[in-house]
Amino acid sequence: MSAERRSLLPTLRRLSHSQRGTLLAYVAIIVLFVIGGIYRPSFVRPDNIGLLLLLASFIGLVAAGQTFVILIGGIDLSVPWVLNALAVLLTTASLGQNSRAWWVVPLVLIVGIVIGMVNGLGIVLFDIPPVVMTLGMNGVMQGLVLGFTGGFTCPSCNSLAPPVVQGAITGQVLGIPTGLLVWIVIAIIVGLVLGFTTLGRRIYAIGNNAIAAYLAGVNVRLVTIIVYAISGLFAAIAGIALTAFGQQATLGMGDPYLFDSIAAVVIGGASILGGRGNYWGTIAGAIFLVVLRAVLQEYDISEAARSIASGVVILVALLLYGREARDV
Amino acid sequence: MTSIEGRDISKSFGGVQALHKASFSAEPGEVHALVGENGAGKSTMIKILSGLFRADAGEIHVQGHEVVLEDPQAALRLSIGTIFQELTLLPYMTVAENLLMGREPRNLGLIDRKATISAAWKLLREHGIPGIEPLELVANLSLGQRQIVEIVKVISRNPQVLFMDEPTSALAEREVEWLFGIIRKLRTQGTCIVFTSHRWNEIKGIADRITIFRNGENVGTYEATDLNEQDAVERMTGRKLNMLYTEPSPLTEQTPMLQVHNLAGTGLQEVSLTANRGEVLGIGGLAGQGQRELFLTLFGVNHLKSGTIEVEGKQVRISNPRDAINKGMALIPEDRKTEGLLLPLPVRQNLTLPILRQVSRNGFIQRLEETSLIRTMIDRLSILTPSDDQPVGTLSGGNQQKVLIGRWLLTKARILLLYDVTRGVDVATKYEIYELIRRLSEEGHTILFYSTDTEEMAHVCHRVLVMREGRIIDEITGPHIAPEAIVAAAIHVIAQVNVEVPR
Amino acid sequence: MSTTETKTDTELAAHTSAEARFQYYVAQNVPLLLSIGILIAMVMIYLILFVLTQHHLPGNFEFSTTLNNTMTVGLAAIGQTLVVLTGGIDLSVGGIVDVTNSLAAQMMHDSPGSMLEITLLVLLVGAGAGFINGILVAYGRLQPIIVTIATLAIWQGVALLILPQQGGFIPTGFTNLLAGNIRVLGNLPSSLIIFILLILLWQVLRRTRFLVTLYAIGNDERAARANGAPVMLAKVGAYTVGGIFSGLAGLYLAAVATSGDATSGTPLTLTSIAAVVLGGVSLFGGRGSAIGSLMGAAILTLILSVLFFAGVNPQLQEFFQGLFLILAVIASTLVRPLLQSGR
Repeated sequence: MSAERRSLLPTLRRLSHSQRGTLLAYVAIIVLFVIGGIYRPSFVRPDNIGLLLLLASFIGLVAAGQTFVILIGGIDLSVPWVLNALAVLLTTASLGQNSRAWWVVPLVLIVGIVIGMVNGLGIVLFDIPPVVMTLGMNGVMQGLVLGFTGGFTCPSCNSLAPPVVQGAITGQVLGIPTGLLVWIVIAIIVGLVLGFTTLGRRIYAIGNNAIAAYLAGVNVRLVTIIVYAISGLFAAIAGIALTAFGQQATLGMGDPYLFDSIAAVVIGGASILGGRGNYWGTIAGAIFLVVLRAVLQEYDISEAARSIASGVVILVALLLYGREARDV
Repeated sequence: MTSIEGRDISKSFGGVQALHKASFSAEPGEVHALVGENGAGKSTMIKILSGLFRADAGEIHVQGHEVVLEDPQAALRLSIGTIFQELTLLPYMTVAENLLMGREPRNLGLIDRKATISAAWKLLREHGIPGIEPLELVANLSLGQRQIVEIVKVISRNPQVLFMDEPTSALAEREVEWLFGIIRKLRTQGTCIVFTSHRWNEIKGIADRITIFRNGENVGTYEATDLNEQDAVERMTGRKLNMLYTEPSPLTEQTPMLQVHNLAGTGLQEVSLTANRGEVLGIGGLAGQGQRELFLTLFGVNHLKSGTIEVEGKQVRISNPRDAINKGMALIPEDRKTEGLLLPLPVRQNLTLPILRQVSRNGFIQRLEETSLIRTMIDRLSILTPSDDQPVGTLSGGNQQKVLIGRWLLTKARILLLYDVTRGVDVATKYEIYELIRRLSEEGHTILFYSTDTEEMAHVCHRVLVMREGRIIDEITGPHIAPEAIVAAAIHVIAQVNVEVPR
Repeated sequence: MSTTETKTDTELAAHTSAEARFQYYVAQNVPLLLSIGILIAMVMIYLILFVLTQHHLPGNFEFSTTLNNTMTVGLAAIGQTLVVLTGGIDLSVGGIVDVTNSLAAQMMHDSPGSMLEITLLVLLVGAGAGFINGILVAYGRLQPIIVTIATLAIWQGVALLILPQQGGFIPTGFTNLLAGNIRVLGNLPSSLIIFILLILLWQVLRRTRFLVTLYAIGNDERAARANGAPVMLAKVGAYTVGGIFSGLAGLYLAAVATSGDATSGTPLTLTSIAAVVLGGVSLFGGRGSAIGSLMGAAILTLILSVLFFAGVNPQLQEFFQGLFLILAVIASTLVRPLLQSGR
């Protein structure tokens, strides 16, 4: 077939709903930067853009796990306190020392994976709906953190993250924050897994129709457990990154990321029911949320109003490209 | 004046034209049969005339007045009642709640539950069904019982126009007589009755007029007395009768490929069978007698309570579809849209889903290898698709079915379980599928074949086993199987619902 | 009466007798019965622990406190039940509670007129918020989980705009009425009357076309539609009435706390879901009762009391609640096939 790209419209029409959503999100980001730059030209300077992208990376990391889970038709409501718990584990186990970092960091990652696996096992073995299982896990992790730290009054609670970890996120390479480079690497890996591996194929199959996937020989249970384990892993990575950025772990540091991770996935064009969407959309969604809030802050809009704006934005995104087809 | 009329109705679903300027009308006090192949448009016409779907174009007239049916409520208000093929019962609500939905007896403005149960019981009794318990959850009834509850529900609303889409597929002989008694009574009362069926005997037995649909168009309305089966089939298919089917090639060997001994499980009481290499073995009987459960148990979806399965002489343990696939089995399920294909995903991904390990290395998909495999299959089955990356949902029904078959051929399965594979498929593709089945059997594949179309089964299969309540009750052998023999064996048994046929 | 008629009547009586209906009810409502069982067990454990540590039986104070805490979650849970019955979910419950809580604290004066006025305003606001959810889900054809996440953010923001700092004022008369300090009929707290009224309200609602349609939608929306049920209207109604109950929960929360806080409602979203699940209502829709959700709310409240009297570290509260929720669902999954007859 000859490629006649004389006009953009036919190409746009061929895009799926979720692809259109992703494109729209990226366009909206550019528009926001323009608006922000109009108000204050330094808004669009590289160091500010770099900072905003770094902030977006934290959402993007949690949202990576959420992307996997939402793609198979599930959801992970345990990210806030899993993240928090692993952040606390990082600081209290390493006590801010580089000499311990080499085993503490892998430990944190493994614990994240294990917690995710427990979520997956509960869902798969006992038919517990994902909402309930991950909700319960969130409560369990919250209780464990509060209990073991005595409400964050323990002596080691104020430990810092090891300097090497801090440097990995807050350093600079050629003017680009290292945390952002970490995100880019992860984005490439996630994109490869979802788009080019057998695991990715199976995930999309299950998300589109778990029964049909099962009948085609896909091990739905195993893939489900893997996907929740991945979400736990990303909660761990995000916990490490956030602690590195803020130097310490704090109570409730994970709370904003539940809404933000789900919002990023949806604004990026993925279907909340599963089977549609990819990580490029999630990236757009994460950046969009951060830049939107930054622009609103430029214009002195209060935090309460920013929350309203975030909610409205999701609704607009859904109405534009998230509607189910009519049955008739 | 006609009771109901659809004029120049057109309707398409995602690029597939189901009805093309089709017209249909029926009169009061008549029983009108609507016939045609699967996918000819008769179900769609009924759904539009009952308000379930909205036509893309055309007019609807009820009792001579033009109307717009925006939803089923509107149709009900106009006294149109419909018994759909996919039953509209609510599974986790009781029989009583289902029967009286929307017209429950009230006490001080609130629903009186005790009165609802009495009313339901009386309703069932009035219509000659003393055996179904109003307090029972619909989910706990058998398919035949559910079909009867659905019938009673719709008829008790006293519709002036009654549509019935394949009302007898799960009913035993006595139950069919019961239904026909009701239909005759309604006819004398002036009700207009329209029904679809695949069973010529039934049509001839009760219809006054017959309308034939083919490829989304009305190709003629005839008095029932003026039409014989051969003419009807010719008009339904557009071909001469003697070119319709190619008989299966005679079996040259008797090597058992699949043997089942005393299989028991959900919906299966005790099934034993042997299918030989190259054989097309039909599994027949009324709908809901265990055929689906047999296929699902063989494929590892349902649990096997007792009994054994042997493939090529060796006993195998199949606890999930992956096991079955590894043993060389393939299942093409009844509803390709909800159980087989992943509609939004491309043709490529649908074709290779079970064989991902073969087209990948270390977890990464090898695109070139994958492409060559699927290209070969697309050519072999003549699948019409603009590209490998076309979402399967945009293909026509026939091509979708081919993609599904292609997927399983790629697994190199030797035993194919085909469950109602020609449902909703256009005529031309159907014959391609029959031809494919014949070729596959010649190449040595073993095929288990289930269809609601007994005509089809009779011509495609070497042998047909008839199932009843989870057992095999009869075996009908070739070389020339008569469809009537299958039907007779299936329906001539004790009713599953205790019905009182009105005198 | 002829013999055939008597025979028919006897048969009819057999089919509709209270005994027959009870048998079927038990078989068809296993999850609800399970949650009754759990509640009874919790009450016993609570009583035992209380007596062991306090050396006397719990009195009116304990009863009132338990009831008040149950009421707040319970009201939110009833609203959530209506939505869950249709197969949806309402994550904006917490946000609506935040808004109504803030409104009440900000605007209520110490006069019966003001109390009535603000109560009505709260109901209206709750209904409006729910209505928006309903329209977006039913006519917008958007998924409930994500619509209500968005409206949650919106209402949380609105609440903060109304009441940026904790404070405001709830007249003591109002608190007394809702929080049970007024005694009626001897020594029964007024909140108990409200609790009983809620149960009666459910019995009435359950017998309306509205609720029957909600159950039908949750069973099979396509089939419900084909039966002529007013699916769209009922869905919007479910979210709207759900919003009203969330509003009431916000009112209750303010009354019990005697002042307002624009963020204290947020945990109620997840707690209302936990109550619904503990009450045996299926998250897939079509099955369950708001009575169960009320019991689920009571169970959640009692867990906290039991933990307190057992001397458990109060910071482990969420741990036990979360664990309990998961174990309760597992128990329900394991027990169900054992109790159901035959099939």
